[in-house]
Amino acid sequence: MSKNVEQTIRELMSIILNIDAARIDESTSMDNTPGWDSVNQINIILALEEEFSISFEVSEFEMMVSFFDIVEVVGAKI
Amino acid sequence: MTEPSNMSVAPSKEADKPDRRAVVRSSLECGAVQAAIQAARLILQEQPSLMNFRFLRQLVDGLKPDENDLKPYKVALVSTFSIEFIHDSLIAFGFINGLRIDIYQPGFGLINQEMLDPKSGLYAFAPDVTILAIEGEDWLPEIYTDFMDAETSDGRLGMVVARFRRQIDSLVRAFRSTSTTPLLVHNLALPRVRRAGMADLRLPNSQAKLVADLNRVLGEVLAEIVGVHIVDYAALVNHFGAQHWYDARMRLYAKAPIANGMLGNLSQEYMKYFRALEGLTKKCLVVDLDNTLWGGVVGEDGVDGIQLGPNYPGSAFVEFQRLILDLYRRGVILAVASKNNPADVDAVFLNHPFMMIRKEHFAEMEIHWNPKSDSLKRIAKRLNIGLDHMVFVDDNPAECEQVRRELPMVTVIHLPGQPELYVETLCAEGLFDTLALSDEDRRRGQLYQQRAQAETMLSASSNIEDYYRDLAMTLSIAPIDQASLARAAQLTQKTNQFNLTTIRYSEAELAGRMADPGWLAITVGVRDRFGDNGIVGVMMARAAEDRLDIDTFLLSCRVIGRTVESAMLAFLCDAAQERGLNKLCGRVVPTGKNVPVRDLFAKHGFSKQSEDESGTTSWELDLACSPVRRPSWFRTSG
Repeated sequence: MSKNVEQTIRELMSIILNIDAARIDESTSMDNTPGWDSVNQINIILALEEEFSISFEVSEFEMMVSFFDIVEVVGAKI
Repeated sequence: MTEPSNMSVAPSKEADKPDRRAVVRSSLECGAVQAAIQAARLILQEQPSLMNFRFLRQLVDGLKPDENDLKPYKVALVSTFSIEFIHDSLIAFGFINGLRIDIYQPGFGLINQEMLDPKSGLYAFAPDVTILAIEGEDWLPEIYTDFMDAETSDGRLGMVVARFRRQIDSLVRAFRSTSTTPLLVHNLALPRVRRAGMADLRLPNSQAKLVADLNRVLGEVLAEIVGVHIVDYAALVNHFGAQHWYDARMRLYAKAPIANGMLGNLSQEYMKYFRALEGLTKKCLVVDLDNTLWGGVVGEDGVDGIQLGPNYPGSAFVEFQRLILDLYRRGVILAVASKNNPADVDAVFLNHPFMMIRKEHFAEMEIHWNPKSDSLKRIAKRLNIGLDHMVFVDDNPAECEQVRRELPMVTVIHLPGQPELYVETLCAEGLFDTLALSDEDRRRGQLYQQRAQAETMLSASSNIEDYYRDLAMTLSIAPIDQASLARAAQLTQKTNQFNLTTIRYSEAELAGRMADPGWLAITVGVRDRFGDNGIVGVMMARAAEDRLDIDTFLLSCRVIGRTVESAMLAFLCDAAQERGLNKLCGRVVPTGKNVPVRDLFAKHGFSKQSEDESGTTSWELDLACSPVRRPSWFRTSG
């Protein structure tokens, strides 16, 4: 996984969740991030699909509940 | 093409794609909202992505509440499915249309509760427009997913159609009895899956036929209720294709059936309605000539050398001309801004066998070598329309950029390199789409020709009163009725310049005024020696104590400068006196655009009563002393 991809994901999440990109680290998850609700979770997933021209399966939607998990799932696709 | 020396004709790649997000942000910071909108338009054209929607939405959310270059606009989304993923794109596209959109959306499937209960969140939100977004399979499973089960039972499908009629009728009537604001209702798209396979075509009650029946029923019900408009969702899904429109994952996982890539297209469809309802529909199309109406450069290639005719690429230009001619027939005013020698252009119009558009279709032609922004300014001035109602189309990126920079309020469409894409490019946003086509729309082109003839006569008249007399104007002043309701509402929505108060009325609100005996609600028609201008003015006034208070007083820009307004005031004076009232009163509410109307009262002998901090002035005329009299050159009828 290149640093570049990780940084792109971080920036994308920072725009959607409206939080500072520097505050997003491996521990950032739905549980500890206000604003990361189910609607924004889907917004993140759809934006990732668009950004990286990839497509997730529904089973993967449910895995992507933290920054760490998202980087993992995206990394496996590109 | 020669260009001012400070402009590069072939911009470098970097200059071609500057950081548009930064431009939007910095323009907003220094208050240049129009420039921000221009840059945002380019962002959405080049890359209508979710990230860009979200970026623009956050900018709009962060604007100061008193940012008054954007019009606040409250949109209620009532849907059978989860539609929240559209919010970002709706706000982003709203921004580039000059709207600051605020959304109310109850949970999906709460249509009945929201629309039937006058105390619901929907009505408390007081929306400017409400959208009823329907997916057929949510509302009518018998005709969509459960069709094979329902199909075998005698009469069940017919009952479903009848039930749909009752439901939609009661919902929309309940809405109308609580709110006078516009309502947009989706029609029904075809099922994604034909449950009977290809045998559907042979069934007496096929899915395809039933959906057509339902849409016919919907049309019948909605036609009876003013201010309700159908969103042709079926056509939209068809245009993009159901395969692309829907996303099965999102439908089953999130009850959000529309694919993310299509949300912007749905938002753009809604924008056509918002523009039409808010008087933001474009009125005038200004076209370039070389490589726009025909291929090649007439000054170099000659009349015989330009590309226009049955074979490609000429065929693409014929198709584009046909579209522009259709716009003319729909009431769009056409004009030309071209860098050319007038004689070369005349030769094409006169002699080219495949020219579909004729010179007389253009209300104005600016053919010279001066900057096109100057041409546009002159066209706007002569036609009496705002630059923000103009669309400029050119194939040359440098010309487009020059106009964008000088006149950020003009909508600029840069034609792509391939002429076969011109039609799609000009149609894409539906910038000229109106809710209905009125007689005035159909005859507008002709009306502008009459206007030009009248102006020629003015320059030939020795004095202004002779000119008025020679025009032989006949007024028809009449209460608004069912036949004139749509046109009257359209005038309140579209008229910006000669408009005292700029109060916008929906058809439903006007219908309320018509029925109220306390109100005068009047249309004004003008005919002159060159033809009938149709309905060009609206007046509304209400009796209060001993006065008649003017609420609305407006006149189409086509007939400004002919003393029609004096005749209108004279009518109101007479109407007030017939009712035993002593005074005629009114207000001037200044807007950025209504300069031509500001001195109306002062010119007609009214005295100023007060002025508030926003500049709104109140005026009064004592009818016993100095009523306004109808100028002697008018005749009246009707």
